[in-house]
Amino acid sequence: MNRIVAAIVLIASLPALAMAHGPSRKKEVTTIEIDAPAEKVWEVVGNYRDMSWHPAIDKTEVDPGEYKKEVTKRKLTFKNGAVFTDTLTRHEPAERTIAFLTNDEDLKTLPVEGYSSTISVADTGGKSKVEWKGAFYRGYMNNDPPPELSDAAATKAVIAFQKQGLEALKAKLEAGQ
Amino acid sequence: MSAAVRALMYLVAAAAFGAAAFAALAASADGPREAFVTNQLADSVSVVDLATMKQVAEITVPGRPAGVAMSPMRDFAYVTTPEGKALFAIDTVARKVAWQLTVGEGPLGIAVNPRSGVVYVANWYGDEIVAVDPVRRAIVGRVKVGRAPSGIAVTEDGTTILTADREADALSVIDAATMIRTGEIKVGTHPFGLAIEPGGKRAFAANVVSNDVSVIDLATRKVTTTVKVGSRPYGIAFARGRAFVTNQASRSLSVFDLANLKVVATIRVGDYPEGIEASGDGAVVYVACWSDNVLQRVDVESLSVSGTADVGDGPRGFGAFLR
Repeated sequence: MNRIVAAIVLIASLPALAMAHGPSRKKEVTTIEIDAPAEKVWEVVGNYRDMSWHPAIDKTEVDPGEYKKEVTKRKLTFKNGAVFTDTLTRHEPAERTIAFLTNDEDLKTLPVEGYSSTISVADTGGKSKVEWKGAFYRGYMNNDPPPELSDAAATKAVIAFQKQGLEALKAKLEAGQ
Repeated sequence: MSAAVRALMYLVAAAAFGAAAFAALAASADGPREAFVTNQLADSVSVVDLATMKQVAEITVPGRPAGVAMSPMRDFAYVTTPEGKALFAIDTVARKVAWQLTVGEGPLGIAVNPRSGVVYVANWYGDEIVAVDPVRRAIVGRVKVGRAPSGIAVTEDGTTILTADREADALSVIDAATMIRTGEIKVGTHPFGLAIEPGGKRAFAANVVSNDVSVIDLATRKVTTTVKVGSRPYGIAFARGRAFVTNQASRSLSVFDLANLKVVATIRVGDYPEGIEASGDGAVVYVACWSDNVLQRVDVESLSVSGTADVGDGPRGFGAFLR
C-alpha cells in the first residue's frame, strides 16, 4: 500500500519536477588537440545547422526562418531516437565560439538537466585545440538522489558525451573529411 | 547641532557598536574594501581585496555555498549551503565561520533586513522563507511562498520582503513584522534574481527562461514594463541611474536606463556571470563569473571590465557580497 501511495505521489509530482532544477550546477571541461587548421575545425563545430559530427546525433533540424536571428533553436534527434531541442546562446565567429543550451531532457539518454555547452576552437600554430565546457545539473531535482541520477552519474555521462564528440571531430578532421 | 554635540554622539555610537564594528562602518563609507564570494564547487568563500583585486583568504564552507548577504554593520557575511541545508555566519574581520544553523531544504536565496538585522533564507525545496535572528542564532519565523523561491529583497524601511518564486513565475510579498504573505505578483517566466531600486518604488526581477526583466511598481503591485535582456539573466544591480543585469549564457551584462528602461549597452564579461553588486558610490559593479572562476570589476562610466580577481571554483555570489 505504501508503495502504491509513493508511486502515486511520484507520478503526481513528475510534471512539475521536470521543470525544476536544484541549486547546485556542475561543470566539466573536455579538450582535444586536432591536427587541422582552426578555421577548418570551426567550419564544422561552428555550424549550428548540423551537429552530425557528434556520433550520438543522427539529425539536426533548424527552422530556416529563425536562423538569421541572434538567438535560434534547433531540434537534435539522437541515434537512439531521443529528441532534444536547444537554443543557440552565443555564436562568435571571431572567437570561434559557439554555445547552446538544451531546453528539454531525456534522462535515459543523458541523466542531466539544463545542460549548456560552450565549444571554442583555438589556433595553436596551424593546429587546433578544441575546448568543450559543459555546465549542467544532475537529473534528480531534489535532495538525496538515487544513484543513477546522482551528481556522479551526471558528471560521468557528460564527460562521456563530450569526449565521444571531440574524438569523432578529431577523427573526421584529421581524415580530411 | 554643534560640533561638540555631534562628536559626543559619535563617541556614544562608537561605544555602543564596539570598536571593530565602528571600524567596519567607517570602511564601508569609503566604498567597499572586500568581497566575500561563494565558490559553490570549491565548498569555500573567497575573500577578495578590492584595491588589489587579489584573493586574500579562502574560508572552507561545506555544502555547496551559493547565496550570500551582509549584516547591516558588515561584520558578518551570511552564506547559504543548498546541499548542507544550512546557514553559515562568517565573522568578516576574523575571516572565520562563527556559527551555523540548519534551516531547511535547499537554502539558496538570502537577504538581511537592513533595520532589524534579521536574516531571511529561501528554502528552494521547502517553498518557504525562514527568518533567522542572528543574535539568538535561531529560526524566529516561517512563511510559505510559491514554488522554488530563489532571490529575496527587502525594502529599505525593513517592512516588506519580496521573493522570486521561480517555478510559480511570480513574486511573493511578505509583511516582515508578521511574516504573513500578503500578495503575489505574476512576472515573466522563472524569475530568479530580484532587486529593489534605490528609493524603493520599484522592484526588478530577472526572468531566467523568458530572457527579460520584469519591472514592478510596488505601490500597485503590478508589472509596468518588461525589458528584454540577454540569455539566462540572473542578477541585478543598480549604479548611477542604470540597472546592470548578468546574462549567464550570453556572458554579458545588459545595462539599461532606470528612467526610460531602454537598454543602453551590453558589456562582455567573464563566462557565466552570476552574482552582481554595485559599490556604494555606484562607480563600479562587481560580477562573479561562475565558469571562469573570477570576480570582475566593471567600470560604470566606461562600461568596461577594469579588473579581474581569481577566486575558487564555481563562484556564484548570489546576493550581497561587498563590505
